[in-house]
Amino acid sequence: MRFIGKAGIAGLTAGVFLLTACGNDGSSDSTSAKDGKSLTWWVMKGTNPDATAFYAAAKAEFKAQTGATLNVQEIQWADAHDKLVRAFAGGGGPDVSEIGTTWTPEFAAAGGLTDLTRQIDSSGVAKDLIPALKDSATYNGKMYGVGWYAGTRAIVYRKDVFDQLGLKVPTNWAELEQTVKTLKQKKPGMLPMPIAGGSSYASAPFIWGAGGDFATDSGGKWTGSLDSPQAQAGLTYYTDLALKDGSSSVGAATWKETDLLDSFVKNKAVMVIQGNWTPKTAIAQNPSLKGKIGAFPIPGKDGGIAPAFLGGSNLAVLKSSKNPDLAWKFIKMMTTGDLSKKWADQAGYFPSTSTQLNSYAASPDPLVAPFATTMLKAGKNVPSAPQWGAVEGNQTVTAMLQSILTGTSVQKATKTASDAITKTLQGN
Amino acid sequence: MEDVTATAGVRTAPAPAGDARRPVRRTRSLTARLRPWLLLAAPLAVIAALLLYPIVRVTYLSFQRYGLKEIISGHPSFVGLDNYREALSGSYLWRTVLPNTVLFAVVAVVGTIVLGTLVALLLQSLGPKARAAVIAAALVAWALPAVTGTYVWVWIFDPDSGLVRRTLQNAGLLGPDGYNWFTDRLSFYGIAELNVIHHSYPFVAITLFAGLTTIPQELHEAARIDGANAWQRFWQITVPVLRPVFAVVTVLSTIWDFKVFTQIYLMPGGSGSNPDVLNLGVWSYMKAINQNQYGLGAAIAVLLTLVLLAITAVYLRVLFKEDEIA
Repeated sequence: MRFIGKAGIAGLTAGVFLLTACGNDGSSDSTSAKDGKSLTWWVMKGTNPDATAFYAAAKAEFKAQTGATLNVQEIQWADAHDKLVRAFAGGGGPDVSEIGTTWTPEFAAAGGLTDLTRQIDSSGVAKDLIPALKDSATYNGKMYGVGWYAGTRAIVYRKDVFDQLGLKVPTNWAELEQTVKTLKQKKPGMLPMPIAGGSSYASAPFIWGAGGDFATDSGGKWTGSLDSPQAQAGLTYYTDLALKDGSSSVGAATWKETDLLDSFVKNKAVMVIQGNWTPKTAIAQNPSLKGKIGAFPIPGKDGGIAPAFLGGSNLAVLKSSKNPDLAWKFIKMMTTGDLSKKWADQAGYFPSTSTQLNSYAASPDPLVAPFATTMLKAGKNVPSAPQWGAVEGNQTVTAMLQSILTGTSVQKATKTASDAITKTLQGN
Repeated sequence: MEDVTATAGVRTAPAPAGDARRPVRRTRSLTARLRPWLLLAAPLAVIAALLLYPIVRVTYLSFQRYGLKEIISGHPSFVGLDNYREALSGSYLWRTVLPNTVLFAVVAVVGTIVLGTLVALLLQSLGPKARAAVIAAALVAWALPAVTGTYVWVWIFDPDSGLVRRTLQNAGLLGPDGYNWFTDRLSFYGIAELNVIHHSYPFVAITLFAGLTTIPQELHEAARIDGANAWQRFWQITVPVLRPVFAVVTVLSTIWDFKVFTQIYLMPGGSGSNPDVLNLGVWSYMKAINQNQYGLGAAIAVLLTLVLLAITAVYLRVLFKEDEIA
């Protein structure tokens, strides 16, 4: 009864939301009848506290360019996938929506998004786009969205601890391991670099950096490849930091990425792999960290920068939109002009074009440049298979990490994960 | 049921006058017979909308291939028993999910009933002030939302800085590296049991306590004169008299403990990253919501519902038997 009761309440609330959503649609239709056209846009409510000013600017700009009214509706990231699925199923969705990069192929393959290849090609919007973002919006050779903003991960570290022990920023994997060992020995009260079992994106640079990948594509047929010798070598290095060099704690085997940040904020960790949007949060939660923290790109195996997952959002047109031309104009406006940089700054992310990103890579801010450099030089996307979302939903990669961190051999764990990925990707 | 309403109808009827009596009474009894249904119409409609419809829909869904593509196109295809075949085949259901669900429920039910009974007996022997304090403490545990309770237990068992780790280390029972209780199937479910038993024993305790107060003191006095000790009196008097109450709390607890979701899902690794610890509820949720295999998720949910229906059938039988005896 407890469960059913909850489900019932959830259903009711969902029903109420749908009703109100329909109500909104009705009213926007009536305004559109009065003064020309209107466009509805869904934005994910992310880390930025208040975007009212930005929305006002976007509305004014859109009115000036097209004469049409822009309706902005914020939705929570946590509900976004479900809400989009519901919109695909029952209509009542927006014309344009922000869509997470890893969801774009999934929704495109399912037939929910409009093919924008022609418009993108003729306008040249994609020329300047960061390749990993372009890749994320591509399915079967066609483009279904335009990158709007993005972010990436690097190592956030305690500069004061490094200075105190005379440590230098590591530039390859051997140096990183040595740094961990030194910290373990000389700074026993803190974890050198906790390895979270629940963060697949933190492990990606080590899989990619050793030459491996999550899955490989041969003519549209995807196969899991975490059991390749390269991927295994990368994972062995990464998890051995915890298992052999004592960089982590036993509890971290079940940590999520937020727990990493938490331990850093509480002065319990020296280095953590974190996204570029988090240092601000860390300082806000623990002001004494101000000036004491820095960041550096996750080093490549033999130097350079290891490829890091580049996540972010695309703007896409829903197939159910009645104003596809207007929708495209809006996407162009949002992704090219000043507005895209403004939004990225406000949300703590990076803009989606190489030209704009260059200025961030040259930033004097020690908490900005390392991330922007990583993104420019080493940003990489997860396999753009339409079923990749299901692999994430299945938590195959985190299950593998957690099992290695609790004693399963890398050989066995990667084989299990790889088979599961193959099964999911070839499923339907 | 009918007797009661008929008498009620007669009682509210005005003093009957001679030959008009029979037809009036027949129409009265018709309205009287309809009245309970009319009164029940609103709640029944709510139940039909909130329970019956979803159950029918889920069952229908479980025979379909229903993923994201089908949602958007609106044309799901029927696959017969394929979803059930997929859920029932392979070792995962039989070796992991089902044992997790069933063993967890058995231990949780036994634990809940035993602890609940002990607390009920304690309540009976306490003075009014102490009794109020114990009831209040138990009710707090019961009133605590499952989410809050789960986070409290997770915090107590935190592998790096939890209360249990520190206590065990101070006692010299745990090495300096500690132990991650959440990664091992047994210890994971051990913590889940503590959480669920702590959360559900108050209901049993208070229900049984209410039952205990109905046992005539004379029975105990007579037994005491015959030389029975407390242990004998418990088994010879308390248990037989309270048998129906025990039956009800056992079956209700079984149903609740079979479908725990929140308490498992919110524990570290319980939301899918540790496949060893999933139970039927979480597995169904993962398949349907996380992987968009709504058909397969629905099939698992139907299987869980069938198990629960079987338990409910037993529950109803016990209740009716009790009526017969009375």
